[in-house]
Amino acid sequence: MTVALAVPDVLVARAQAGDEAALEALYRAFETPVYNLARRMLRNAEDAEDVLQETFLEVVKSIRDYRGEGYLWGWIRRIAATKALMRIRRDQLRATEPLGEEHGKPGMHVGANLDLERAFEHLTDTSRAVVWLHDVEGYTHEEIGELMGKSVSFSKSQLARAHARLRGLLGEGEGAQA
Amino acid sequence: MMHCTMDDLLALRAGEASVWARRHVEDCTACRAEVDAVYQRVAQLKALPALRPPRDRWSIVRDAARAERTRRRRTWGVWGLAAAAALAGVLLVPGFGDSGTLHAELSKAKDQSATLEDQLQNYDVDGRVLSGRTAARVAELEDQIAVIDGDLSRQAAAKAQAQDVELVKLWQQRVDLMRQLVNVRSTRARYVGL
Repeated sequence: MTVALAVPDVLVARAQAGDEAALEALYRAFETPVYNLARRMLRNAEDAEDVLQETFLEVVKSIRDYRGEGYLWGWIRRIAATKALMRIRRDQLRATEPLGEEHGKPGMHVGANLDLERAFEHLTDTSRAVVWLHDVEGYTHEEIGELMGKSVSFSKSQLARAHARLRGLLGEGEGAQA
Repeated sequence: MMHCTMDDLLALRAGEASVWARRHVEDCTACRAEVDAVYQRVAQLKALPALRPPRDRWSIVRDAARAERTRRRRTWGVWGLAAAAALAGVLLVPGFGDSGTLHAELSKAKDQSATLEDQLQNYDVDGRVLSGRTAARVAELEDQIAVIDGDLSRQAAAKAQAQDVELVKLWQQRVDLMRQLVNVRSTRARYVGL
């Protein structure tokens, strides 16, 4: 999805002054991209809603700290990604299944996007987060490693495993191997 | 024949592939097709429809924003009282020049400020609905009061007699802003009451 990156400085300044209308304007501008990011990274829709809420509670609390370096969306997105990754870590600590195990192959008999969407949902939480942050949001492996508290090579290997898995789930060619 | 691994394919996409992988993909149609497939997969991921939140959470965020603003203002109130106490201590020191008039004006401004703070507490209900324009005005006034509180605390800390007039002026400005804030709040309260 395309996110409007340019937010008027005056709107940010008003939000920083606590102007409720400005804060709501920011919320309306970014609620969908934040939710979409969280929902793509997390398996559970309610968790994604909670991340949306937690992200904007953090925005309200910390927007005075935003110094206008880079796009506001980049700042908000980082908060959202961090919150989503915290949930993934929490869920992994609670999970009984071994980390890194992929879920079963879904039946895929409909349009290409839906196939990919369903295949994407069958990746592990960590793989999904890495794929989304790297391939869609444009994060570097260095940034992902930093966000996850892992190494660059961890991010790279997760991405490669995820693509190999997607390729298999989508029933694509035989040339490359993970 | 040895083919590219997924690591190789992703490295090719990132422009970080080994010499072997770059040369291999030029000659191997299967691996070239795999590179294309990676590009297509990423393009399709980017093209997935945006998922929209099923429920509106703004009211929760808005309530938190109001609570945060109230908390900040209460903090300013404490700062203001602390600054007043410090200033009073400075001006009441014996032999502190011609402080009689200044002290009287300062006391008056402090009393007015305290009264207005009390009035404000009555209007400052977190759940009260404010229009965007009113909220913006409230935020603007609160920020101006915060700036003055900061100046007051610095002036009081300096304890310089030459600045006494400036201190009283700051307190009077604070009272004026507080009065405007109370007016905005009370006008809105009356409107909501209707």
